[in-house]
Amino acid sequence: MNADDWLRTLTAELHQRRVAADAARHVVAEAATHLREGGGDPWVVFGPPQQYAGAVVESIGTAPGPRPGPVRLHAAGITKRYGRRTVLHDATLTVRAGQIAAVVGANGCGKSTFLRICAGLISPDAGEVTVSGQLGYCPQSGGTADFLLADEHFVLVGAGQGVARGPARRAGRAAARQLGWEAGGDVQARHLSGGTRQKLNLTMSTLSAPDVLLLDEPYQGFDQGTYVNFWDQLSRLRDGGAAIVVVTHLLNQLDRVDIVLDLTPAQQAGWHAHGVQGGHL
Amino acid sequence: MNRLLTVAEMTLRELLRRRGVLLLLLLMPLTFYLIRRDAYLGQSVRSLLLGVGWAVSTAALFATTAARELEPRLRLAGYRPHHLYLGRVLGLWTVGLVISVPFFLLPMIDGADLRYGGLAAALLCSVAVAAPFGMLIGALLPREMEGTLLLLTVVTVQMLIDPAGSGAKLTPFWSTREIATWAVDHTDQGYLARGVLHGLVVTALLVVGVAAVVSVRLRRRRHLRHLPVG
Repeated sequence: MNADDWLRTLTAELHQRRVAADAARHVVAEAATHLREGGGDPWVVFGPPQQYAGAVVESIGTAPGPRPGPVRLHAAGITKRYGRRTVLHDATLTVRAGQIAAVVGANGCGKSTFLRICAGLISPDAGEVTVSGQLGYCPQSGGTADFLLADEHFVLVGAGQGVARGPARRAGRAAARQLGWEAGGDVQARHLSGGTRQKLNLTMSTLSAPDVLLLDEPYQGFDQGTYVNFWDQLSRLRDGGAAIVVVTHLLNQLDRVDIVLDLTPAQQAGWHAHGVQGGHL
Repeated sequence: MNRLLTVAEMTLRELLRRRGVLLLLLLMPLTFYLIRRDAYLGQSVRSLLLGVGWAVSTAALFATTAARELEPRLRLAGYRPHHLYLGRVLGLWTVGLVISVPFFLLPMIDGADLRYGGLAAALLCSVAVAAPFGMLIGALLPREMEGTLLLLTVVTVQMLIDPAGSGAKLTPFWSTREIATWAVDHTDQGYLARGVLHGLVVTALLVVGVAAVVSVRLRRRRHLRHLPVG
């Protein structure tokens, strides 16, 4: 990571930790000046950007986050069985506009199933889900067409909302750029790398400006920079009033979310029952 | 209408980019035609038509299976089930018509004494039935292998069954065979009328079948309640 990458990561970290925009700009400018004039490796001078951002937050505090808005997603008493195996038991989650919820848990504990139930793709055995506004969903894999170009995916999704081709293409490319990807080429989806394909997948789900965005481990194959961009974009969408649910097994990202739902069964984890856990962090 | 046409266009684009599949789509009926060329011409033409039907069904099966993961998210993006299955069938019919053109010209170049209007009708019938037939199999069976084997079974039965037997009318491409008999053997108009009627009924039933399966799979679930943004 060179100095520019370090500064970029620091900027994203400060933004995600909700440091006031002016203060963040000032901190980054000071660090850049220090590096330019004094030289040296930023990792040696300042340490890891995440750690430095943490120190900045401790020192100057954060800007108050936007107040959560009205409830956008309410899933209550969700139970799902496959044969005799109960995958989900009475899981409940409420997410308001301007919040990010993380769904965590061990492999096979029903994280993806819960998200698919929230998206209305499969039915639960019990429980109900109420969604206010437009719903967007990004599957863990698949969800793209091998032989179509990225632009054609944008046109296809845009047409569902009645968006004309030109604006759909432009919106798709702009959303892809937020993830550090220039999507305008003539490469078919099957020739994209795994990470870039996931960027396409993610871009498609945000294209219709959903009020509720459901993301099933969408960052598989992302490199470090894209991963930072991904959380940066989630923060932007949250600040724009979206309610976001993201399935994740990366517990180190939980400090960036507002609500945690841990689906690990009690007997497996030894410390968590079903349902909403955590709450506001 | 725009949504339906967009799905049709993307189906068409996807298939046209599968060059290997396109080549096999053309090769299959050609092989069927040539392999029976030394024998009676009627058999050769009937085999050609069956080859077209099989090729288009296979393309439809693979297109449907490939879209299985994409369709739920398109549903969430504002598409209704009928946009998806009608758009796809429209795209497949277009591909079928395009690949039918050389097979309409082939017997003509070969100097066959046929009712060419009948050959055109039989090709239309074959394509019309094949697209929703392949889609229905693709919608019912989640994996390509099972679908392909079922398709193979149906086409084999179609080839071996006595067309005059009562059970033959239950096979999807019986209409094509009847119209082909009218075109090749210069039989009476009854063959054409029966064939066209059978083709229309089977096509309609298959489209309704696809509609039913897709509508059930992509239905709005009862547990999910949508409210307008307050």
